[in-house]
Amino acid sequence: MVDFGTAELTLEMIQASQVGMSAVGAGLAVGLTGVGTGLAEMGIGAAAVGATAENRDMFGLALLFTVIPETIVIFGLVVALLLLF
Amino acid sequence: MAGVSSGSAQYIYACTRMRVRKSLLIPREDYLRMLNMSLPEITRFIGETIYRSEIDELGTSFSGINLVEVALSWNLAKEYQSILELVPGDLKHFTASYLRRWDIQNVVTVLRGKMQKMQPGKIKEVLVPAGRLDRVALDRLVAEESPERVAESLKGERFYPVIERELPRAMETGSFAHLENELYKGYYARLIADAKGGVKGGDIFLKYIQLEIDIRNIQNLFRLRAGQVREDVRELMIGGGSFTVDELQRLSGLESPDEFIDALKRQVKMIPLLNALEEIRGKTALHEIEVALTRVQLDQMERMSKRYAFSILPILVYLEKKKYEVANLRALARGKEAGLPGERLQGYLVM
Repeated sequence: MVDFGTAELTLEMIQASQVGMSAVGAGLAVGLTGVGTGLAEMGIGAAAVGATAENRDMFGLALLFTVIPETIVIFGLVVALLLLF
Repeated sequence: MAGVSSGSAQYIYACTRMRVRKSLLIPREDYLRMLNMSLPEITRFIGETIYRSEIDELGTSFSGINLVEVALSWNLAKEYQSILELVPGDLKHFTASYLRRWDIQNVVTVLRGKMQKMQPGKIKEVLVPAGRLDRVALDRLVAEESPERVAESLKGERFYPVIERELPRAMETGSFAHLENELYKGYYARLIADAKGGVKGGDIFLKYIQLEIDIRNIQNLFRLRAGQVREDVRELMIGGGSFTVDELQRLSGLESPDEFIDALKRQVKMIPLLNALEEIRGKTALHEIEVALTRVQLDQMERMSKRYAFSILPILVYLEKKKYEVANLRALARGKEAGLPGERLQGYLVM
């Protein structure tokens, strides 16, 4: 004898759990890449401020170098969006 | 973690600023151009570089060679003080120790000036307030009446015990050479103690100090040979480098120049220095030998500063290069004033 009520409930639970897990994955993807970007930008940003302080013409180039690690967090964001939608 | 991270960001900031400043130093081609200029042209030329504000400011009170000299000293002092302000934490500690050499130079200049009863204004012109003793402290020293009074007002300074011990003898003989040697030996000993004091990055600082001591000792050995000094040189040598003072004494006793260079080469491990010593073999003029050795020191420091990219070394490289830039410009201006030809002057420049 099969208990259909219990089976349906388990399936719903699994589905809900999958949604939850993908949300956690999306969060981790954005969060960890954010930390990675921050660490990468720390050194570049410090050097960029130093260079700009000495020579103002460096500002544009220094800003460009500083934001290059932003790509990491964008990859994370893309992965998160793919997971959620 | 947070402390370590923010610390390294500060190191990167300071070292990058030093690298940018280093790239703005006068390049070799400009020195070569300046060799063909007259003194007013040189003054105008450096008045268009980073020395502009000093040349403009002092232009009304000084002229000719004095203007160049004083402007260079002021710029050097301003530059060093600004670096001392911008470097962070541990780096400040090491930079301040390094800059104490200027205190020694200034104090000895004041003592000599006072001994020879020079006008306070004249003494002030040749001081470079780049160390811990700033312009106000130096003004106070210059205003004192006699060398003894100057020494007394230095009570509490690191080097006061040496001055207290050596000044009577210096006054008696009228020569401050021994006092100066002792002060510099004390300075290097103190630098080594600071580097070994357990502050982070001290091991790298120590490498620089040892290089500096080695090069200085080798230069001194060459000088002593040129001056035909054969007596006990142990007093004149600086301890703490890779040569012991006794080894240096043995080296100075060697008669033939070839034998001396061979013996030196056996002790040296640094390849650029070995090459430089080989080149020196053919040279007889002392200034060429000194410039060649200084070049090796700067190149080696540059190489070390790339290996330890975010340490005290990039700052020291800049400080040293700036020092030689000022020395070069001063030599150029003085040489032109004395009417020396460009080719002769070139041999004295560290480019």
